[in-house]
Amino acid sequence: MVQPVLEWQAGRVTAIRPETRQTKSFSFALPKWMAHRPGQHYDVRLTAPDGYQTQRSYSIASPPERLGEIELTVERIPDGEVSPYLHDVLMPGDQLELRGPIGGYFVWEVSLGGPLLLVGGGSGVVPLMAMLRHRAAQHSTLPARILYSSRSAEDVIYRDELDGMAAADPTFEPFYTFTRQPPAGWTGYRRRIDATMLAEVMRPFDRRARVYVCGPTLLVEAVANALVQMELPIEQIRTERFGPTGA
Amino acid sequence: MAGLISRGFLGRRRPAEVENRLPPGQYLVTDFPVLSAGPTPHTPLDRWSFTIEGLVQSPVTWSWEEFQKLPTQTYTIDISCVTKWTKLDTKWLAVSVDTLLQAVQVDPAGRYVMAYSDGGYTTNLPLDEMVNGQAFVAYQFDDKPLEPVHGGPARLVVPHLYFWKSAKWIRGLRVVERNQPGFWESLGYHIHGDPWKEERYSGD
Amino acid sequence: MDNDQADMNTALMVDGNAVAGQLEQIFGRDMTMAIARCAGCARDAQMGALMAFIRGPGIVLRCPACQNAIARIVETPSATYLEARGAAYLRMAPQA
Repeated sequence: MVQPVLEWQAGRVTAIRPETRQTKSFSFALPKWMAHRPGQHYDVRLTAPDGYQTQRSYSIASPPERLGEIELTVERIPDGEVSPYLHDVLMPGDQLELRGPIGGYFVWEVSLGGPLLLVGGGSGVVPLMAMLRHRAAQHSTLPARILYSSRSAEDVIYRDELDGMAAADPTFEPFYTFTRQPPAGWTGYRRRIDATMLAEVMRPFDRRARVYVCGPTLLVEAVANALVQMELPIEQIRTERFGPTGA
Repeated sequence: MAGLISRGFLGRRRPAEVENRLPPGQYLVTDFPVLSAGPTPHTPLDRWSFTIEGLVQSPVTWSWEEFQKLPTQTYTIDISCVTKWTKLDTKWLAVSVDTLLQAVQVDPAGRYVMAYSDGGYTTNLPLDEMVNGQAFVAYQFDDKPLEPVHGGPARLVVPHLYFWKSAKWIRGLRVVERNQPGFWESLGYHIHGDPWKEERYSGD
Repeated sequence: MDNDQADMNTALMVDGNAVAGQLEQIFGRDMTMAIARCAGCARDAQMGALMAFIRGPGIVLRCPACQNAIARIVETPSATYLEARGAAYLRMAPQA
């Protein structure tokens, strides 16, 4: 099959929704929309009147079952160049240049099977959410778990949706860990993700789990090293490093 | 590359008060961006050395300890990266390349230098643009030991050229006859790299 | 996980998957599942799993096993350069 050439297209902002203090979700209607694979990203390009251009990649948060549109969830990096523009300037109705969907490596879809273990830090949860939304849209009962590290309760993106998914689906379970300020009365994990935590969350899946790890590079490094030490076959591990932490 | 102009996106700043210090197409930064082409090498200082070799009468190698004893100077200079940022008034403690070259006798055929670094990075420079105070090997930045992410323990600094010429983690200079392109010069970047002439890409 | 300034350079590293767009522009297809064999250590890795250094004058993709530079990409206003001396080969399956 001949693939369409990857080209820039002007997406129109249809909705902007705050998720947390630092993150917002942006919906775009795309004239040349095509179904993505959960975990893929789009490149976003900004052009100034003097011709200066800059681009970044952002993971798709929406599932491919949502037709004609994509949603990107973007963390605002205070010293950043693109994310402050998206957060502070972009409005519904504006047009933005996008290129995608991109990347066949960090993808999961129901046809790949499970059990599925998702490990995310901060806004690294975004492509994992696309996988979970796809899984839910397909009414899949492949066992799935997410281990999600945040600084504080206020920083958890999609908390209500994840808990809602879990309430409606006994084959899915979210695990949260807080590295700075857990919610009041929290009895769960309150530290960085480590080998012990990974082993506990992964236990029912044994070494059959397909694992997707996304977040700041140092978190992904730590998790990937722990998984290899746990003798999980390397071909079952997919990583997506975001670079430095936002803060 | 054409593109849809993004409403309200102004790009980066060229403040009027420093406009005349910013080469064309450059924008002012106040932080110190970290650019890299590979992992940070961590050569222990007791295994670090600096060598001048190639077209010289006899090569010279300094250990870290010996290098520390060479006369230093403080430089306050502006740096411009080809990725379009310029940082003003950066302060370095460094050994001038003039000082280093005094230790060897350069063969008359030696007209160029290939600087080489831990990790395999290289960059080429004309020898006559390395002398007379135009280039130095720095090991302190802002009165502190140069951090590994910025090229420590020691980096070359050639302020009048784009900053990719200022090789991080430098380990030596090879004096050569011909101007052979280095790591970035061999892949589309300008063989010389003068920011005031905007010599960014080969063919510019 | 927080940044450790000493590890900033490691923190800046991303996966080859992050430059899937640039690779697709060059090859006209997704390359992240293609196999690159390192010319240095002969290990195979999916291109999406290579170490990618993207903050610099160009992109450098390195072997996750030996850190050898497998490929470099530079985009100038007039051309795109791809150098892949560090790859013994790239192997790609037909696309579905």
